[in-house]
Amino acid sequence: MLKFYEQIIGDLLEDSSGGLVILSGGLGLSKLISYLLHLHDPSQGSLLILSASPSQKSSIPRNYQDTLNLETPISTSEITFDLPAPQRLSLYGSGGIFFITARILIVDLLTHRLPTTAVAGIILLNAHSLSDTSTEAFIVRILRSSNRSLYVRAFSDRPHAMVSGFAKAERTLKCLFLRKLHLWPRFQVHVSQDLERDPPEVVDIRVPMSPYMIGIQKAVIEVMDACLKEMRKTNKVDVEDLTVENGLFKSFDEIVRRQLDPIWHTLGKKTKQLVSDLKTLRKLLDYLARYDAVTYLKYLDSLRASESFRSVWIFSESSYKIFEYAKKRVYHFGRSDGGKSLVPSKTLSTKKRKLEKNKSEDDSSARANSGLVLEEVLEEPPKWKVLREILEEIQEEREKQVSSREELILEGETEYNGMVLVACKDERSCMQLEDCITKGTQKVMREEWDKYLLSKVELQSLPKSNKKKPKALKGFGVLDGVVPTIAGQTAEFSSVSKQENDALLAAATEIGKKAKKDIDAKDGVTCEGHKKGRRKGSNKKKSVIGRIDHESETCKQSEMLCPGLEDKKKYCDPAVAGHLLENAPQSEISDKGVLRKHGQGPENTKQLPPVHFFALESNQSILDILQPSAIIVYHPDIAFVREIEIYKAENPSKKLKVYFLFYEDSTEVRKFEASVLRENGAFESLIRQKSLMLIRVDQDAHLLEVNSSLEPQSTTAQNLITRKAGGKKEAEKEMQVIVDMREFMSSLPNVLHQKGMRIIPVTLEVGDYILSPLICVERKSIQDLFGSFSSGRLYHQVEMMSRYYRIPVLLIEFSQDKSFSFLSASDIGDDVSPNSIISKLSLLVLHFPRLRILWSRSLHATAEIFTTLKANQDEPDEARAIRVGVPSEEGIVENDVRAENFNTSAVEFLRRLPGVTDSNYRSIMEECKSLAELALLPVERLAEVMGGLKAAKTLRDFLDAKYPTLL
Amino acid sequence: SASVSGVNRNAILVSHRQKGNPLLKHIRNVRWAFADVICDYLLGQSTSALYLSLRYHLLHPDYLYFRIRELQKNFKLRVVLCHIDVEDVVKPLLEVTKTALLHDCTLLCGWSLEECGRYLETIKVYENKSADLIQGQMDSDYKSRLNHALTAVRHVNKTDVVTLGSTFGSLSHIMDASMEDLARCPGIGERKVKRLYDTFHEPFKRVV
Repeated sequence: MLKFYEQIIGDLLEDSSGGLVILSGGLGLSKLISYLLHLHDPSQGSLLILSASPSQKSSIPRNYQDTLNLETPISTSEITFDLPAPQRLSLYGSGGIFFITARILIVDLLTHRLPTTAVAGIILLNAHSLSDTSTEAFIVRILRSSNRSLYVRAFSDRPHAMVSGFAKAERTLKCLFLRKLHLWPRFQVHVSQDLERDPPEVVDIRVPMSPYMIGIQKAVIEVMDACLKEMRKTNKVDVEDLTVENGLFKSFDEIVRRQLDPIWHTLGKKTKQLVSDLKTLRKLLDYLARYDAVTYLKYLDSLRASESFRSVWIFSESSYKIFEYAKKRVYHFGRSDGGKSLVPSKTLSTKKRKLEKNKSEDDSSARANSGLVLEEVLEEPPKWKVLREILEEIQEEREKQVSSREELILEGETEYNGMVLVACKDERSCMQLEDCITKGTQKVMREEWDKYLLSKVELQSLPKSNKKKPKALKGFGVLDGVVPTIAGQTAEFSSVSKQENDALLAAATEIGKKAKKDIDAKDGVTCEGHKKGRRKGSNKKKSVIGRIDHESETCKQSEMLCPGLEDKKKYCDPAVAGHLLENAPQSEISDKGVLRKHGQGPENTKQLPPVHFFALESNQSILDILQPSAIIVYHPDIAFVREIEIYKAENPSKKLKVYFLFYEDSTEVRKFEASVLRENGAFESLIRQKSLMLIRVDQDAHLLEVNSSLEPQSTTAQNLITRKAGGKKEAEKEMQVIVDMREFMSSLPNVLHQKGMRIIPVTLEVGDYILSPLICVERKSIQDLFGSFSSGRLYHQVEMMSRYYRIPVLLIEFSQDKSFSFLSASDIGDDVSPNSIISKLSLLVLHFPRLRILWSRSLHATAEIFTTLKANQDEPDEARAIRVGVPSEEGIVENDVRAENFNTSAVEFLRRLPGVTDSNYRSIMEECKSLAELALLPVERLAEVMGGLKAAKTLRDFLDAKYPTLL
Repeated sequence: SASVSGVNRNAILVSHRQKGNPLLKHIRNVRWAFADVICDYLLGQSTSALYLSLRYHLLHPDYLYFRIRELQKNFKLRVVLCHIDVEDVVKPLLEVTKTALLHDCTLLCGWSLEECGRYLETIKVYENKSADLIQGQMDSDYKSRLNHALTAVRHVNKTDVVTLGSTFGSLSHIMDASMEDLARCPGIGERKVKRLYDTFHEPFKRVV
């Protein structure tokens, strides 16, 4: 355990009620928590861990296990809705450590399933996402009010999120009833001492970008700047925040949104579009460094196809450059006899012949179509080459070391592990880089290019039941059927010229032909494997699924690259294992890839060290598992840098060399540097805030106040009585509201509880809140409202409410910090338009004259309205509310929680498919297990399931419809 | 007055009380005429509307109640059209809400006279319209239907739909794609891949 961990824990334990710890990103929060878990003793009660992210849920127990003394019997587990109530109850009583979601916990607390005394304490992660109306705060309030000895230890490793908004740290402390704020920035003395005692060897490599990349970057920044200027003109956002520097960060959206949200609904379309354009542009910058040229172009194409008519920026001068340069990185298009062409000497026929001979020329290979030449440029990302060089360098060094004997022995003693870890941002880059290493970079580019071309061409539809070989048929479809007219039709909406389209299509056809050739002429393909390594398969070839012949050897090759890996594998969890080269799914991928016999990476001759690719996005703590001796940070990320530091500090005896790969003068570098500054700035501001903070010393008195509000004669209730002058009756009884379980995602139950109402959580089929036997409320936030109008869900819900309740109520809830209005004046328009929210609401009102509508300014206003409405009504009946609208013949158990028992997004998806109706979707769900299964059902079966051939046909046709081409 | 309503079947009948209300300027898509009606605006045979400015309500808190009482039981749909023209809305709006709800009126709020006028127009125009518009029917062309379906998965946007469509060729291929294939699509990150994959491959009903 590093020293500063001890200090953090020591400081935290000083106050028995707990505290809030904020530390720099990447400083090993999971480790810290797992050390803390060791201090837990079952006799005190259960320890509940709230709001853990999925990656924390896996990394904390692992760290905990790693540091576990074998005699400690406690294990961590997760409490989910899947567990039936009695089982949850016994778990609570067991004194163990549990991950739990706020929704389950609050429900169990409110239904008194969980006695508050059974809880020793709470560890609350991701404290930055907390607010005083969030469910976590609700939980802490309930627990604290009846169990004073309970501790709450809250953590966050996102300091910049803790400074967004006014005095956020202070408010967070208050809503958790905490006094102590502990700040642990990277620059804290103890932390930096620990980490800088034995720093890893660092090599910083600046890779120059290619001229086109620089061009694209410049153009994107220009467009971004232009957008920001436009934005300034609107006078709605603080000008100081509008810098390109800020624009590089995701948090920029937050800054803008926070300023614009209160007036969002009054903004014109143009401003809203600007906001979303800025987001797109930021992505373009990001992807420029991450994606290869072809993928980048493909992304741009998709973008253009989906945005062209709305975006402001897409038509600007600079963005033309973006597209142009992106294209030039991939291919060059011109007349064959024109001087532009890079290979002007080649005549048409030779080119053709070459293609027919199935020669895959590299960068300069040209394709011809009616006198026009499509030249492939296929620029490789400069980092690829550098990565390879580094790997070779590492290997060379190793070999040198191996040759001198003594060192070898030394290494043996320190459990030398030759692993090289390459860290990239996402899974995609991992797979691609891996391919680069195994197959050679040119080949990877070519594959991407082939895929790009194929995706441009219309794909022929497939026989419906054929699951296994969709790809193959797709390929053949391309062969026989590229119809130029398709390109012609669609050329109008894209700006690419028709000729260019034809050329691209022709190129795609060539690929198809080649595929055929490859399959026809299946002769011995020699696989240039590596000298050593166990080759499992012989030269046996699958004439695969793929549109193209394929050697399974490639995956084997990859296997050879990492001989040491297999042993390691068993220590990894499945997610990590997924990255390992020799893994099964991996080989599946390469099965599908388009391979060629030629261009088996000429560079492949040199031996490379074992490499592991790691996606930072997956948030796994991989360093401890793999124990690499060299790390190549392909996409720099500050949190990962810290992780490396921690790893090194914990293993001072291990040798570790770290390579950073930056694109020179790129936004990548700027972003990295800015992120360091930003975090330091956040901590400085937190330190300032901490010195000025006003925290009540008498937390207990404060608690009492809270506690009293739980009593029937609460202060709020009394206030109400005096306000109503003579409503003595209410003083006797406690107001009750029945709330649907799913509603605990929102903060309203919390606020109602603060108002002194008793919250009864149940599963409701109809409505969200039952205020009385007559009043049933469906709550809709503004976004929900628009969404559920267009999906028709609202209509259905109102219909159900009207059927079962005398007073069906639609609550339209505005957000406190957003504007209180529906539309901006400009959105109203001149005519009655069916798309307007006014029209939809009017129609709803006309069809349900009994529907009452509540317009609420905020959560607190809603609570007030509820209290008023309940004033002269009877209390709702829990048992009855549960039964309402539940289809009894379905055999749904009353206590089941629907949302947890259904794959809701799948159900929603299903219901949005054409042919699927309210009456048949249930039987579809009965019949097929999942959507993937549904996708394979032949139309006859569908007709049986859906109760009609027409609906079945509609659905089947939709599923199999060809996606229109981008060209 | 039966003959009057016969002539003006397609017009909004406006009570003489509303004379001088600037709102009338904003009723432009429908004809309107003054008539002797109990409610402020007669929008259909059994549809009535009362207009209330929140500022007026602050001065005359009882006005709304008396006006509603005058309506008696003559209308199936009774709309209270509330013009939000004050800054501090919570308290007055609460009162209006309560009055409307307890006396069987439907409350609609408008933040400008244009918006209020548009409500009156729309309710008149849609008097006999079916509810198709809000029953979930949408554009029936392939792309919008595909968009609609795929965007049911959280965080999947239109660009992603294009990417998925052009990569896999058809919806059934998308639904059958492996995690790796999904991950290879540009712009589709780890979380989206998982969401998509889970949507397609997790069973509809989770078995405990």
